[in-house]
Amino acid sequence: MNNRQKEIDNLKDYKYGFSTDIENIQAPKGLNEDVIKFISNIKNEPAWMLEFRLKAFDRFKVLKEPDWQKPKFPKIDYQDLYYYSAPKSMKDKPKSLDELDPKLLETYKKLGIPLQEQARLNGIAVDAVFDSVSVATTFKDELTKQGIIFCPISEAIQNHPQLVKKYLGSVIPTSDHFFATLNSAVFTDGSFVYIPEGIRCPMELSTYFRINASNTGQFERTLIIADKGSYVSYLEGCTAPMRDENQLHAANVELVALDDAEIKYSTVQNWYPGDKDGKGGIYNFVTKRGLCKGKNSKISWTQVETGSAITWKYPSCILKGDNSVGEFYSIAITNNHQKADTGTKMIHLGKNTKSKIISKGISAGSSDMTYRGLVDISSKAKNSNNYTQCDSLLMGNKCGAHTVPYIKNKNSESNIAHEATTSKISEEQLHYCQQRGLNPEEAVGLIVNGFCKEVLQQLPMEFAVEAQKLVGISLEGSVG
Amino acid sequence: MKEQLKKDFDNNIKNLNLSQKDIEIKKFCLDNFIEKGFPNRKEEDWKFSDLNQLIKNNIGELSFYNDHTSTNKVDTSVFVDGLEHNKIVFINGRIEKIDFEYEKKDQIEIIDQSETINEFKNSNSLSDLNNAFTNKCFKILVKKGYQLIKPLIIYHSINSKIWSKNINLRLNFELDKDSSLRLIDLFSDTSEKNFLNIFYNFELKENAVLKNYKVDKFENKNIKYSFNNIDQDKNSVSETFILSSGSKFFKNEINCNLNGEYSSAFVNGIFSLNNDKHHEIRTIINHLTKNTKSYQLIKSVLEESSKAVYQGKIFVNSDAQKTDGYQLSKAILLNKESEFNAKPELEIYADDVKCSHGSASGSLNEDSIFYLMSRGLNYQQSRELLINGFLLDVVEKITDSQIKNLIKNMIGIKE
Amino acid sequence: MLKINNLNATIDNKSILNGLSLDINPGQVHAIMGPNGSGKSTLSNILSGKKGYEVSGEVLFEEKDLLELETEERAHKGIFLAFQYPLEIPGVNTNIFLKTSLNAVRKARGEKELDAIEFLKLVKEKSKKLKFDEEKLNRQLNVGFSGGEKKKNEILQMSLLDPKLSILDETDSGLDIDALKVVADGVNTLRDKNNAFLIITHYQRLLDYIKPDFVHVLMNGKIVKSGGPDLALELEKKGYENFN
Repeated sequence: MNNRQKEIDNLKDYKYGFSTDIENIQAPKGLNEDVIKFISNIKNEPAWMLEFRLKAFDRFKVLKEPDWQKPKFPKIDYQDLYYYSAPKSMKDKPKSLDELDPKLLETYKKLGIPLQEQARLNGIAVDAVFDSVSVATTFKDELTKQGIIFCPISEAIQNHPQLVKKYLGSVIPTSDHFFATLNSAVFTDGSFVYIPEGIRCPMELSTYFRINASNTGQFERTLIIADKGSYVSYLEGCTAPMRDENQLHAANVELVALDDAEIKYSTVQNWYPGDKDGKGGIYNFVTKRGLCKGKNSKISWTQVETGSAITWKYPSCILKGDNSVGEFYSIAITNNHQKADTGTKMIHLGKNTKSKIISKGISAGSSDMTYRGLVDISSKAKNSNNYTQCDSLLMGNKCGAHTVPYIKNKNSESNIAHEATTSKISEEQLHYCQQRGLNPEEAVGLIVNGFCKEVLQQLPMEFAVEAQKLVGISLEGSVG
Repeated sequence: MKEQLKKDFDNNIKNLNLSQKDIEIKKFCLDNFIEKGFPNRKEEDWKFSDLNQLIKNNIGELSFYNDHTSTNKVDTSVFVDGLEHNKIVFINGRIEKIDFEYEKKDQIEIIDQSETINEFKNSNSLSDLNNAFTNKCFKILVKKGYQLIKPLIIYHSINSKIWSKNINLRLNFELDKDSSLRLIDLFSDTSEKNFLNIFYNFELKENAVLKNYKVDKFENKNIKYSFNNIDQDKNSVSETFILSSGSKFFKNEINCNLNGEYSSAFVNGIFSLNNDKHHEIRTIINHLTKNTKSYQLIKSVLEESSKAVYQGKIFVNSDAQKTDGYQLSKAILLNKESEFNAKPELEIYADDVKCSHGSASGSLNEDSIFYLMSRGLNYQQSRELLINGFLLDVVEKITDSQIKNLIKNMIGIKE
Repeated sequence: MLKINNLNATIDNKSILNGLSLDINPGQVHAIMGPNGSGKSTLSNILSGKKGYEVSGEVLFEEKDLLELETEERAHKGIFLAFQYPLEIPGVNTNIFLKTSLNAVRKARGEKELDAIEFLKLVKEKSKKLKFDEEKLNRQLNVGFSGGEKKKNEILQMSLLDPKLSILDETDSGLDIDALKVVADGVNTLRDKNNAFLIITHYQRLLDYIKPDFVHVLMNGKIVKSGGPDLALELEKKGYENFN
C-alpha cells in the first residue's frame, strides 16, 4: 500500500481528522506561574481570577499524577506542553459571525457544524471552542431576551463577575484532584450558561470543542447554573485532528441546579482515538460534576464515548437537596487500542434522593473498558434509592470488559440495587440478521444499537442520529 | 511494634528446630511484614476494613510470641453433638489433636511441611506475618479415590490463657484424584482481644470434591482473618459456605483458581451481625481455562451499628471461553446505624462468557410486613419470618444435608 | 357489623376519600364499584390498617373503633383482605406461613392452636374444596404462582381464617373464567348469616357469580349511588360517566 493510499484509509477511519492552517498565538511552552499570569493577562482577567488560578497551581504542585485507574499511560511531561493557544485572528474579537476568519468557518463546516445555517435550522445555539478559545456563539440575541446568559466563560468573567465568582469552583474546588486542579490553574475558555429563575430554555445549547494546534493541552472550563425552577438541555461535542503524539484534554465541567431546576447534559465525545496500532490519540481526563443544590432539583448526564486513546471520566452528581434526582446514561465504545475507564458517582446527602445509572460498554479489538462507579447513600439520606445497570458487550477475545462498582449504603431506609451482565453478540442473532440480508457490519451495528437503546433514547433528537451513526462507525472492522 | 516483632520472632525461633536456611526464609518474611505492616485502607483490598486501625482500636499493642512447648487441655464440651466427625483441634494456635478415627488410616497421610513457605497470588502482608511466625504446618493428603466417610471438624479455640496475642496458623490440603473431603472450621473463643491469622491452601486434583464450611457463630471480641487458596484441576468442585457472625471482626478471603476444564466453585455466605461488629467476605474467582463455572450468593442481616462488606471479583482470562460466572449479594439493614458496602467486580478478557452480578441492599419490605400482619402475625413474627425466608435460600445451597441441618439449628432457621 | 361514618383520607396531601359512609350487617354482601382512581383500593387499605394515610372520620367494627387497631389486631378480630396484588415473599414456605397465621388468629380468639398434623389435615381439606393445587403449599409464598393461583391462594387463606368480614379487592382482575368460578364458589360456600363480604370491583363480571345484596357506586372518594344488584347492570350498560 503506498503512502497516499494509507493516508486516505486513515482519513476514512477518522473522518474528523484534519487540521486547519491558522496562525496561532501560543503561550511559551511549560507550566509555571509566569505562564499562568500570561494566560490571565492576555484574557484581561480581574485580580480575583488570577488569585483563583494561582491558588489552584499551588495545590497542583504538591499533587501527584494519579495511577489507580485501569488504563496506564506513559508519564506526561507537563513542561513540554503549550497551555495557551489561540487563533491569532481572534485577538481582536469579531463582533459577529460575519467577521469570523473564513478559514475557521470552513473548519466548522468540515466538522459538520456550520455555525450559521445549520445551527439556525436545528434551532440549536452553538458556542464553538477552537483549541482553547471560544470563537463564536450563536443565537445570543434570542437568548438574551429571556435573560439567559450563554457565552464564553472568559466573557462571563468580564461581564458577569458576580455569578462566576459565586459558583466557579463551588462544585470542583481548586483543591480537588490532580487534573481538575491543573484545569483550575490554566483553563483558557469554555462555555458559561445561566438560566434565570423560572425560565425554560427554549432551545438546546451546544458547544463544540476542537483541538487543532499540536502539542497543546486543552483545558476548557464549563459552568452551568440553573436558577430556581429553570430548565436547560446542553449538548457537547468534541473532535480533534489526527496527530502522532498524544494530546491532553483536561476539562472541568461544573453544574449547579437550584430548587426545582433541571439540567440535562449530553456529550458525544469523538476525540481522535489514535490509529489502528494505538499511536497518537487524545488523553481525555475530564472532571464533570453536578451539584443538585436545591430541593427537587435534577441533573442528568448522558454520554456517548467513542473517541480518545484513553478516556478517564466520571460525570457525577452530588444530591444535596431533598428530593433531588441524579441520572447517568452512558455508552462507551472502545476499539483497536483504546482504553476507557468511565462511570459515575452518585453521592446521596439529602432526603428522598434518587439516582439511576445505566451504563453500556462495548469493547472490540485490543481495547480495554472499565465501568467504575460509586453509589454512596449517607446516613442522613433517608428514603433514598439507587438503581444501577451495567451491561458489557465483548467482541473478540483480545479485549477486556470490567465492572468495578463501589456500593455504600449507610441508611436502613434506603435501597440500592445493582445489576451487571457481560455477554457477546450471539451467533444466532448475527445469523438471523445476515439471513435477512444484512452484511455482518450492518448486523453488528443494528444489534449494538439495540443494546444501547436505553441510552440513545435519552439523547436529544439531533444528537441521537449522530450518535447512532457513530456507534456503527466506531466498530467498523471489528467483526470477521 | 517493630521491636516487639523482632524480640518475639527470636523467642519463637529458639524453640524451633530449624535449619539456618529456614530461619533465613522466615527472617525474610518478617522483614517484609515489618516493611509493609498491617494492611490499611490505602490498599484497595482493605478500603472498607482498615485492619491496622481495627487492631489499634480494639487490641492496642499486640505480642507475637506464643509458648507452644506445653500442651493445652482439650475442652471436649465444645465438640459438636449428634454428628460423628473427625477432629483437628487448635488451641491458641497450637495443634493439640489430629484424629481421623472414622477413616481408613492408609488413605490419609499427614505430612509435616513446617519448613515450606506458602506463597499465594492475591495475598498481602498477613501472609508474610503468617510465614514468619507459624510453628507447625501440616499437609493433609487424601489419597486417590478416597472419600472421607465422616466430615472433619477443625476446632479453633482461643482460651483465657492468652490476651492481646497474634496467633498464626496454617494448613495445607491435597485432595488427590476422585477424592473428597467435607470440612468445617468451627470457632469458639473464651478470651478476647486477640488476632487470629489463618492460611489454608487447598489443592484439588481431577474430580476431587471439597466442601468447605466456616462457622463463626459464638459471640467473641477477637479479630480474625482467614485466607483460603483453592487450586482446582479438571472436573473438581469446591463448595464454600461462610457463616460470619460471632467475632468482633472477621475477614474471610477465598481465592479460587479454576485451572482445569469443567471445574467449578461455589461460595455462599451469611452475615448475621449485631452490635458494632464489622465483617467482610472477599472472593476472587479466577476463571483460567474454558468451561468453568462459579456461583456466589451472599446475604446479610445487619442490626444495630454493625457493618458488612462484600468484595467479590470474577476474573476471566482470554482462554477462559464459555465461562459461567454469577454473583449476587443482598443485604437487609435493620437499623439506621447499620451499613452495607459492596464491591462486586467483573474483569473479563474473553468474549464468549456469561457473567453477571447483582447487589441489593435496603430495609425489610414494608409491604410484605403489612401482608403478613393483615393475616394476623404481629410485627416481631412477621420480621422473623421474613428474615428467616431471606436467609433460607443461602443455607439451602449447602449440599451436605447433615451439615445443612447443623447450621440451620445454629442460626435458628426453621423450615 | 361495620359502620363507616364520613371517612376522609389523604396521602401526600392528596385527598382520596371524601366523606365516605357505609353500613354492613352480618349476612350481607356489598359490592363497591368505581372507575380507576375513585378510591377503591384506598378503602380496602384503610380498613385493613395500611400505614401512610391521613385518616379522619369514624370506622366502627362490632361497635369498636377500628382505626385504633394494628393491622394484625384487625385480622384477629376477623377482618380479612384479599389483596389485589398478593405479595411474593421469597424464602417463606406457604405452609409455614399459613400455619403461623392461622395459629396467631386462633390464639387471639382464645382457641386452641393447631399442631402440624391437625393443620395439614385442615389445609388439605380446604385446598381440595377450592381446587387449589396442594403441591403449591410447599413452595415459597406466591413465588412463581400465576395470577390465578395467587388469587386462589388468597381465597384459601380466607377459608382457613374464617373471617367475619372479607374484603375482596379487585379479586376478579386478571382471572380467566375458570379461576373466576373457583373464587366465586369459594365465596359462596363461605357465605352465611354470620359473616359479611365487601367486594370491590371495576367490572360487573364477578357479580354474575356472587350475587350482592347491595351495590354502591364510588366516585371521587365517596359513594354517589346505592342500590340493589340491578345497579351493577345499569353501570355496565351506561358507564360511570353518567353518575358523576
